[in-house]
Parts: sequence; structure tokens; C-alpha cells
Amino acid sequence: MLLALYSNNLYSHDGEKHIIKGHSKADKLEQCVEPTEDMQKNHFGYLYHQRDETVKHGIRTKQHSLANCIDCHVSYDDKGDAISINSEGQFCQTCHVQTAVNIDCFTCHATVPREKQVRLDLKHNQDSATTIEEHTSSLAKYFNETNDDRY
Amino acid sequence: MIDKIILTKYIISPKVFWSKFILLGFFILVGFACSLYMEHEGHYVTGMNNQIVWGLPHIFAVLLIVIASGVLNIASISSVFDKKLYKPLAPLSALLAIAFLIAGLIILVLDLGKPDRLIVAMTTYNFKSIFAWNIFLYSGFAVVLAAYIWTMLDREVNRFSKYVGTFAFGWRIILTTGTGSIFGFLVAREAYATAILAPLFIVMSLLYGTAVYFLILKTISKFHKTYISNDILMNLRRLTVMFLFANLYFLFLYHITNMYIAKHVEYEIFILSNGGIYTFAFWLGQLLIGIILPIIVINSKKLCNELSLIISSILILIGSFVAMYVIIIGGQAYPLTIFPDHIIIESSFYDNVVHSYVPSLYEFGLGLGGVALALIIVLIGIANFKFLPTLIKSPKKNLSDEQENTAS
Amino acid sequence: MTDTKITNRRDFLVKSVTALSIIYVVPDIFPMADASIKKPFDKKVNASTKWGMNVEVDKCVDGCTACVEACIDENGLYGLDRPETDSQWIRKLVIKDIASDKVTTLPMMCQHCENPPCCDVCPTGASFRREDGIVMVNQHTCIGCRYCMMACPFKARSFVHENLTQQLTSAPRGKGCVESCNLCVNRIDHGSETTACEEACMKEGHVAISFGDLTDPNSRVSKSIKRTNNRRLRADLKLKQSVTYSGF
Repeated sequence: MLLALYSNNLYSHDGEKHIIKGHSKADKLEQCVEPTEDMQKNHFGYLYHQRDETVKHGIRTKQHSLANCIDCHVSYDDKGDAISINSEGQFCQTCHVQTAVNIDCFTCHATVPREKQVRLDLKHNQDSATTIEEHTSSLAKYFNETNDDRY
Repeated sequence: MIDKIILTKYIISPKVFWSKFILLGFFILVGFACSLYMEHEGHYVTGMNNQIVWGLPHIFAVLLIVIASGVLNIASISSVFDKKLYKPLAPLSALLAIAFLIAGLIILVLDLGKPDRLIVAMTTYNFKSIFAWNIFLYSGFAVVLAAYIWTMLDREVNRFSKYVGTFAFGWRIILTTGTGSIFGFLVAREAYATAILAPLFIVMSLLYGTAVYFLILKTISKFHKTYISNDILMNLRRLTVMFLFANLYFLFLYHITNMYIAKHVEYEIFILSNGGIYTFAFWLGQLLIGIILPIIVINSKKLCNELSLIISSILILIGSFVAMYVIIIGGQAYPLTIFPDHIIIESSFYDNVVHSYVPSLYEFGLGLGGVALALIIVLIGIANFKFLPTLIKSPKKNLSDEQENTAS
Repeated sequence: MTDTKITNRRDFLVKSVTALSIIYVVPDIFPMADASIKKPFDKKVNASTKWGMNVEVDKCVDGCTACVEACIDENGLYGLDRPETDSQWIRKLVIKDIASDKVTTLPMMCQHCENPPCCDVCPTGASFRREDGIVMVNQHTCIGCRYCMMACPFKARSFVHENLTQQLTSAPRGKGCVESCNLCVNRIDHGSETTACEEACMKEGHVAISFGDLTDPNSRVSKSIKRTNNRRLRADLKLKQSVTYSGF
């Protein structure tokens, strides 16, 4: 979740430049979901907090969600295919190799945006809710509204 | 001056010590390698699956933990029931308890799906879970034992020994109740849903612990002249007989209880008559080898005290392993009764078949590694601290003492 | 101290506009305020909803596995052709009544008990029941001890026996954790009114599965329960499952 300040060059904690192969959405953005320095230091805190909120209480805000991080920071190669975010030289791994901090996220979590229904297009949350609902609930609506004799 | 029994270190040649150390160390390494492999590849390389979720590692682990609580018998008799006779044997008993406990726990932890998350298990608790309680009971037991050993070995704090010993005794009863309750509280499975499993586990621990203690003491005395008086031998024999009958009684009670609980009857029929390998293991292993034969051997007039106790202890240990197999694997092998008034004809998830379990070598390696770990802790313990009772004869010794000594 | 009396015309206007805006404008800003099913993304789930499911067994068709396939597809449960260790969140059973020899087929999955044995035995509290009635595994704290699998009377849970790749963003899952049906929690949280299995059953035209909010008398599941004589499996255990069956 570090911020890409100058095209696709990143600064690690020690100020050394990393160059990541491919292009990501984050390349074009001014700032991440929090100020850069904050994200560099506290990104895990945000993720950690969010994961409990989401799993235990069903909170699905996107600002600090891992899926959102990946969606924005994952790089795409020339063919337009997403490169796993935890593969060597990619966004997560560049810093985490340097600082020798193991990431446990990706034994379970997808490393590229691989969605079933959720469209993460950085719009307001409720927008995407409508699209999902349209996607999944049309039949439910039909049965709710029409007086089908099976109901 | 009279004869004195003092505690000494394990005095053997370095060659013997290191050869044992390396042998045990090898098994530990193999066990560790096995667990690493299982963790790296995932549990599909083991014999365990979604049907038999607990396998050989759990047999080893539960058995070791049960034994850990049981070997403390000897110390409890000396401190709680104030039998002077057992006093020299008490420190070794506490050392064995701590060694077997650690080994059992390590097997249990290494078989977790996420052993790397041990820290989560240590920091996040659900106090409704008997498992969470057991984490406290087990680690607390290790601490209590360590304190107990200290009070026994250090003369300055020796006067507290009785109290700490009594506390340890109470703790181990609760601990084995906890171990039995892991199974006893599972309402879903017909083999387990009865509180009688807790006392059953306690009498099992008493029996297995005594057998293990005696065998290990015997093994040590092969290399080092430990002192086991005839009185103690007689006593241990009587204890073993008592525990054997207690086991038989509780086993009988457990199965009778299950037969009276209408919804458990089918499981009883399964384990007692048509369960294939499980029925075979129950009758031949758990009952015949584990209880009946030892009773016959130990009471036979033809064998001397010592030999009969050795043979029956070995039989009891074989029986203990099979008993765990029957309880843990047999209990899971019997399919769940999801529809009491229906028969399941078809299922993709093995709902209607008796599950089979073929353990892999890795699980076995992990289990053996655990046993080796227990033994190496004992080896290091007795080589460095004064655990072993040794007889120091007075200058004017008589012949009857001589006789007693040869018995050991 | 504030004076509650309306003193002049200007004050009256200000106050009435404020009052009107509370009545008319606020609900537009917070469109979820009155929708009972959908909850805003930043609000915690609560007990005012209770998700549940009823299966009308007589409508369930033998040989149809649409719900199972939909679940596999929804949650990325692609197996490795090792039937003994592959995960199954929902499965089809064929059962025969001992007394009447009547053969029935039905889907079997996590029954989402109100008194779940899996949650009672879980040492870390990773198995938990969400406020809205969904029983699920917090895979961040699951240590893989499999005690819950020993405790479940319905064999609803699976253990992930190997390294996985190709997981879906919406359904994270991985080696060493236990998993089971979570009533498509990701869908529900994003405002969907149906689970993958129910949707598939509707698409097939069988409509055997009805999902919905049990506290809402107009939800599909409530209507289904009202219409038929539903029952819980292993009712003797008093687990109060949210998944019920009717018609057998």
C-alpha cells in the first residue's frame, strides 16, 4: 500500500528506489488511502484492524481492505494480465524481502484481483452494492414480487 | 549405622550415554522432519482426512499425556499418602511426568494445521472450550511439576515438598479429567458423548503410568545400580493388580452405559461385534492383551514378582496403545447419525460408510519422535541431577540385605 | 440556555426547514436507514436480522447437483480429485426412511446452529456465530486443531489438506484451516438477497431451497416455513439450527 510517487518507482523504508515490473492503478494516483508515511508505517495495523471488523462484524468498507489494496497495487504486464502481488519484485515483496518480514496473507487470499461478484471500481461503496445485487438477486426479486405459486 | 538410600546421578560411561543420546536424537530428528514435511505439504500426505480427522499423532499425544499424569502416582503415594517407602522413588516419577507431558504436547502442536500459529493458541482463548482449559492445565502442570522436583531435590525447600506434592496430585486428577473430557463432551459422536470417559481416562492413566514407571526404572537399573526393594516390588504389583481391575470395571461400565443410552446402541454393536478391525482391536488388544493377560500373568504363581510385573507391564503398554486406537480412531470411524430414522443411501462425503484409516509413515515418525523426546529428557535429567535411589550399605551388612539387593 | 420558544418569523423558518430536512432529506443521504435487508458497509451486523434457510425436500430432485456446483463455483472449492480430503461445503444425500422405505434426496451443509457445538469446542474462538446467525470460521485465528470437525453432528466442516492456489478474492481459503458453508457471507454483506445454492436451485426451476431473514415474515424462507411443516435435523440435540428441512 505504499504510494507510488513517481510513475512506478517506489521508495522503501530506507529511501532506496525499487522499480516494479508492469503497471498498476496506483501508479497514476497521488496518494494512497492514507498519507504515504502513515501507510508505510502502519499499513499492517490498518489491515489487521479491518480483517477483524470484516470477519467478525461484516463490515465491508473498502478503504483499508486487502482486496482493495491488491486491486489498486497489483501490476499488469504488457499483455494486460495481472502479476501476483506477492511474486518476486512485486509490490508487497519488494519491501518485505528487504525488511525480512514474512507475509501470511497469501496462503489464503487471492494475489490478483480474481472476483466472483464484487466490482471494486473505487467508487462509493453503495454503488458496487447495487451492481452485485443486480447480478445476484434478480431471481430472488422475481420470486419475491410475483405471486409465483411455488411461493 | 544402618543402610541408607541416597539419590544419585545416572552414573554410566560417556560412551553408553552418548550412544543412547544419539540414538534418541536420531528419532527426534526424524520426527521433526516428518512434521515439517506434513506441514509443508499439508495433511493430505497423512492418513488423516475429512472423515478421520484425528489420527496416529493424536493416539501418541493423548497416550503420552495420560501416561504423564499417571507416572506421578509414585510421587503422589509418597507425598500425599505419606508412604516413606516410596520417597526415594518420587523425584524420578515427577521427572518422567514432565518429560512425557512435554513430548505429548509437542506432538499435538506439530500436528496442528497451523503450528506456526501457536502464539494465537496461547493468546486467544475461548473458555467454553475444554481444549482452551487444557492449554492451561497442561502448561500449569509442567510448572507445578518443576516446582515439585525442586522441593524434592533441594534440601532447603524440602519441607514444602508435601504441599506441592499434594497440589500436583490434585492438578493431575483435574488434568486427566480434562483429557478425558476432550472426548466426553462431544455430543455428536456416539462413542464419546458420555462423562464416564473422564474417570475411565483417570484409571487408565494410573495403570499405564505405573507400568511405564516400572519399566523405565528397570531399564535404568540395567546400567546403573538403582535400588528397588522387595517391598516396593510387592507394592507396585499390588497397585497394578488394583488398577487393572479398576480399568476392567470402568471399561465395562462405559460400554454398559453406552448400551443403555438408546441412541448409542448401534455404536456399541459396531465396536463389540461387527466393526471389523476395530472390534478385533477392542477384544484382542484393549481387553485381552491390555487387561486380561496382565491380570493372569501378574497373579501367576510360577513367575517371580519381578518377572511377572515386567511381562504384565509390557502387555499393559501394548494394550494402552490399542485402547487409544479403539477410542480415538474407532470412535471416528463409525459414521455420524445425521438422520436417526433414515438410512443414508448415497453420499459423496462418506456419510454412510465405516471410515478406514491407514496411517502414513510420517505420522508414525512424528509419534516415535515424541516418545524419543520424552526419553531424551529423562536421560538428560537423570544424568545431570540426583534422581536415582541408590543403596549405601553400612559397613556391618548382613546377608538379608544382600538378597534384597539382588532382587532389583 | 437555549430557548425552545419560537420568537420570530425567521426563527420559525429555520426550524421548520430543519425539521423538514430531517424528514425528507436524511433518508436520501442514508438510503439504507429504512431498508431492512441491506445494511450499510460500515455498520456492524446485528441480531435484528437472522439469516436462515429452509429446504423443501419434496421439491429437491434426485440427481440434480446444481446447488453443489454453484457453491463450488461461488467459493472456488475446486478439488484435487482426492475425494477423502477435498472440501465439501454442501453435498447431496439420498436417504431412505426405515419405516416407510420412502427415498428422499436433500442438500446437506452447515446448519448454522444457534448453539453450535463447533464454537463451544474451538480453543481460540475462531469458530464463531456472527450476530446475524451465520456460523463461520475466522481463518485468521484458526490453528487447525480440527476439534470442531469432531464436534459437528452434521459433518459440515472440511479441513484444507494442501496448499491452494487460484482462490477467489471473495472467498479466501487456505491450507491448515477448517472451513464450511458461511451462507455466502460475502454476497450477503454486499447486499445480495440470495445465496449461490438458492439462486442455482431457482435457476433450475426447482425452488427447493429458500433463503432469507427469519425475523422478516415476508422473506422467502419465512413464507416457506409458514407454508410447510419444517423440522430441524437431530432435534434431540437442541442445537436450534437456522437451516431447516420440510417435507420428509
